[in-house]
Amino acid sequence: MNINLPWDLSVVPEKFFLFRDAALLTLEITTLGILTGLVLGLIVALGKLSQHQFTSKLASAYIFVIRGTPLLLQLFIIYYGLTSIVTIPPFPSAIIALGVHNGAYIGEIFRGAIQSIHYGQMEAARSLGMTHRKAMRRIILPQAFKRAVPPLGNQFIIALKDSSLASTIAVPELLLRGRQMGSSTFMYMEMLIIVALWYLIMTSLLTYGVHRLEQRLKVSDHD
Amino acid sequence: MKKRLQITMIVLLVLSVPGFLFAGGQQEEGAETISFAGSGGYPPFNFITEDNEVEGFDVDVAAEIAERMGLELEYKTTAWDGIIEGLRAGRYDGILGSMAITEEREKVVDFSDPYYYSGPQLIVKKDGGINGPEDLDSDSVIGLVTGTTFEKDAEQLGVQVKLYEDDNQTLLELLNGRVDAVLTDRIVGLNAISQLKDGDQLTLVGSTLRTETMGIAFQDDDDELREQVNAVLQEMRDDGTLRQISEKWFDGEDITVE
Repeated sequence: MNINLPWDLSVVPEKFFLFRDAALLTLEITTLGILTGLVLGLIVALGKLSQHQFTSKLASAYIFVIRGTPLLLQLFIIYYGLTSIVTIPPFPSAIIALGVHNGAYIGEIFRGAIQSIHYGQMEAARSLGMTHRKAMRRIILPQAFKRAVPPLGNQFIIALKDSSLASTIAVPELLLRGRQMGSSTFMYMEMLIIVALWYLIMTSLLTYGVHRLEQRLKVSDHD
Repeated sequence: MKKRLQITMIVLLVLSVPGFLFAGGQQEEGAETISFAGSGGYPPFNFITEDNEVEGFDVDVAAEIAERMGLELEYKTTAWDGIIEGLRAGRYDGILGSMAITEEREKVVDFSDPYYYSGPQLIVKKDGGINGPEDLDSDSVIGLVTGTTFEKDAEQLGVQVKLYEDDNQTLLELLNGRVDAVLTDRIVGLNAISQLKDGDQLTLVGSTLRTETMGIAFQDDDDELREQVNAVLQEMRDDGTLRQISEKWFDGEDITVE
């Protein structure tokens, strides 16, 4: 058994910060993708719960298509497929794909959270004279949001890692940078290890952030 | 509760600001540019340096063409297997990234006159017992890059093929023993062997399987630009600039003539 590693780990600290810009780009794609996803998710969740048949069907169809196809495929369709209509540059393409993709998942998270709020809450709010819309905004959504935080945190971490798929459409984020550097320095594994470290740092920060948010939201809990 | 939500929203918005700035910065474009694309993972022809610059023989040729046309060069890198699709979508003006002129590609793009010549050759492990294409059989596993012309060559050799994204992966697989040989461009192979850690275990065997002619690809209907670039290329040949660029990158070797 030959345990002589074919790679040279001593370059890891020395090359580590060459990836800073790429890491920032990964963070930007993720943040903007998640924001888009949150907006779409809320619309989808409310749409799916809507009494209007058409709205509800539309939201279901969106979830059906987006959740039923791989993100990588969606990315290719947006980047290569839409060019007959509009040519979107790589960076916005990645954000749109990530946002649309996460919109479906976040929509289901929101819907689950909204439905988990006891129907007595809505009834109580309505009997106090609030409209359905007002009750939703003031009573249901704030409580639902709190319950949605843990699964949202999970989804954010998935989104952060999924942003690496943007490497396939020439967005010089972490993974692509790692592969390019590996290709030009002929130290492929070394560069991928650096990329892995960057991802771990970012997912750790995200996990910590979500944990803090959970703690803070708990303050108003009395049960 | 309400206040916290507001604060959360503000934080998220602030976080997103650098993203929008960056998006704007990426698209900034001078009025007079010409853009060429390559994979950025094909040293020494085009590759990304530590400073995040693209360099290589292809890039120098592109820069010289742009300069002679009085335009600013924008050299874009993109995945090889989508590079023609990107050209057809108009994401760049041409592909100047060591693309071999083939009949199949001619059906979807138009090529300039050739700017260099090379050919596919086998790379094997020195102690692997393969001394040329004649030692391969239907059990041999060959690694090569997806979307290259070498797929056809491997088919003709009648071997099993494993496809990878770039030659770094194929050569690592060769060192790891998952493939018996790698089929790639002769010059790319030579360069990789000289730079790869443990590259001294590898060697090129046999002669090049055939000659490949590299051209610059343009959109099918972009005859005007193609003609202009052809004229510039001819100028660069005539005054020796093309040869000089080749000699700079390939130890004095001139690959721009057949």
